[in-house]
Amino acid sequence: MNRKKKRSFAGSRTEALVYGILSLVILLAVWHLVSLGGRIGKFFPSPFLVIRDFANAFVHAIGRNTMLEHIFFSLRRVLVGFGLGVVVGIPLGLVMACSKAGRAFFMPLFSIVRPIPGLAWIPLAILWFGLGEQSKYFLICMTALVGITMQTFFGALYADPVLIGAARMLGAGKFQLFVHIILPSAIPNIFAGLQGSFAGAWCAVIAAEMIRSDEGTGWIIFNGMNYANTAQVIVGMVAIGLVGLIASTLLKALERRLCAWNIQGK
Amino acid sequence: MNKVEVRNLTKSFGDLLVLDDVSFDVKDGEFLAIVGPTGCGKTTFLNSLTQIYDIDSGSILLNGEPVNLKKHSLAYIMQEYSTMSWLNVRQNVQFGLEIKGFSRKEVREKAERALELVGLTQFRDYYPNQLSASMLQRVAIARAFAVQPDLLLMDEPYGQLDLELRFKLEDELLNLWRKLGTTVIFITHNIEEAVYLSERILVLSNKPTAIKETIENRLPYPRSVTSEAFVELRNRVTALIKWW
Repeated sequence: MNRKKKRSFAGSRTEALVYGILSLVILLAVWHLVSLGGRIGKFFPSPFLVIRDFANAFVHAIGRNTMLEHIFFSLRRVLVGFGLGVVVGIPLGLVMACSKAGRAFFMPLFSIVRPIPGLAWIPLAILWFGLGEQSKYFLICMTALVGITMQTFFGALYADPVLIGAARMLGAGKFQLFVHIILPSAIPNIFAGLQGSFAGAWCAVIAAEMIRSDEGTGWIIFNGMNYANTAQVIVGMVAIGLVGLIASTLLKALERRLCAWNIQGK
Repeated sequence: MNKVEVRNLTKSFGDLLVLDDVSFDVKDGEFLAIVGPTGCGKTTFLNSLTQIYDIDSGSILLNGEPVNLKKHSLAYIMQEYSTMSWLNVRQNVQFGLEIKGFSRKEVREKAERALELVGLTQFRDYYPNQLSASMLQRVAIARAFAVQPDLLLMDEPYGQLDLELRFKLEDELLNLWRKLGTTVIFITHNIEEAVYLSERILVLSNKPTAIKETIENRLPYPRSVTSEAFVELRNRVTALIKWW
C-alpha cells in the first residue's frame, strides 16, 4: 500500500514562515479593503497610512516626543512597577510556601486581594498617590504582584517531596533545603509568573497613561482618540503590540538560558 | 559488630498498626534484603528508620547511637528518580558531599571517583533530562556512594527498570558494595532480586508487620539465578510470603 507519509507542520520552519507571512498579507488586504468603503472606512485608515505614520513617528514627534521616547516612558513605568511587584511578590510567595505561620498570616489577606483586577485600584491609586508617576507605579505593581506571588507560591509549595527527602537524608538542614531544593524547584514557575505578569503590567501602563499623562504609548492612543485621529490610535496600538512581543521574546530567551535544564524552557 | 540495632520498633497511623514490635540487627558491611508482600509496610519501615516518620516506641541505633541525620552519614536510594533536574550529573553527585561540608578538592575527587565507579564519567556535564532511566538511577547511586555512607538504604531502586537493566545495575551494585564495604539495607518485593543480592533476608509478614523469618543466604558470589541452590532458596522465600 502506497501511503503518503504524514508531514509534521511544525517540523518545517520555511512552511511556518510562509504561513505567517500569508496571514499578515491577508490581514493587510482585508484591512485595506475595509478602509476603502462605507461608514467604517471613515474611521479606519488604510494600513499603508498607519505604517507610514508609524515610521514617521520615529522621526517626527507625536505631541512632544518621538515614538522611541514614548516607548521609553512607558517601559520605564512598567519596569519600576513590575520591579516592585517582583521585589514584593517573590519573597511573599516563598514565605507563604515555606512557613506555615507565614501562610496563615498572609494567605487570607492575599486571597481577598487576588481576585481584584489591577485596574480596580485606579480610583484609590489616584486618591492616594495623585495623578503623577507614583499612582502609575502602584497600579502596575498591583497588577503584576498577584501573578508573580501565586506562581512563586505554587512552585515552592510543590517542590518534589522525593528530592526534599533525598536531600534531608544527605543531611541538608532547613536553610540548605530552601536554597538547594525549594528555590530551584520554583524557578520555572517564577519565570511563568514573570512572563504572565509582564503582559499584565504592560496592559496596566496603557490604562494608567490613559488616565493622565503627557507621554507614553497609552497617551498616543488617548490623544489620537481626543482628536479623532484614528491613524494615531492604531499607531499607538501597533507600538504596544510590538513592544509586548519583543519583551515576551526576550523573557523566553532568558528562561531558555537560565533554565536550560527544564523541559518547559526548552 | 552491629552497625544497626533496631529494638521493639512500633509504628501506627491512627488506628492502623503498621509495624509491630520489630527487632533486628545489621552487621557492619552486611548486605541485608527485606522482602514482604506488597503493602506490608516495607517503606514505612524504612521511613521510620530514617526519621521521615516519628516512631511510636522502640529504638533505632546506628553505630550504637540514636540515628542523627546531621551526624551519621546515611544515603537513601528510592524507586522514584531523585536527581535534581537543575544540576548536571557531576553537580548531582557532588550535592551530598557539599551538604556534608567536604572541601572543594575532596568534593571534586570523591565525585569523580563515584562517577568512574558507575561509568558516568563521560556524561558528567549532561543534565537529567538528557539521560535514560538507568543512567538516572546510576547518578543517584553515585551520589549515595560518594558520601561513603555509614548505611545505604535502597527502597526498590530498580522497580521502574526493565529486566536487562536491572540485572546490569544489580551486578554493578554488588561490585560497589564489595569494593567499598558499605552496609546496605535493600527493600524489594522481588524475591529473586533479594536472593541474588543479599547475605541475609528478612521476610516480613502482612500488616501489622512483624519479622516472619530471617534467612541466611550463604550462596557464593557471583550467583547464578538458574543454579539449583538459588532456585531452592528463592522458592523457600516465596513460600514464606505467599498470599495467593
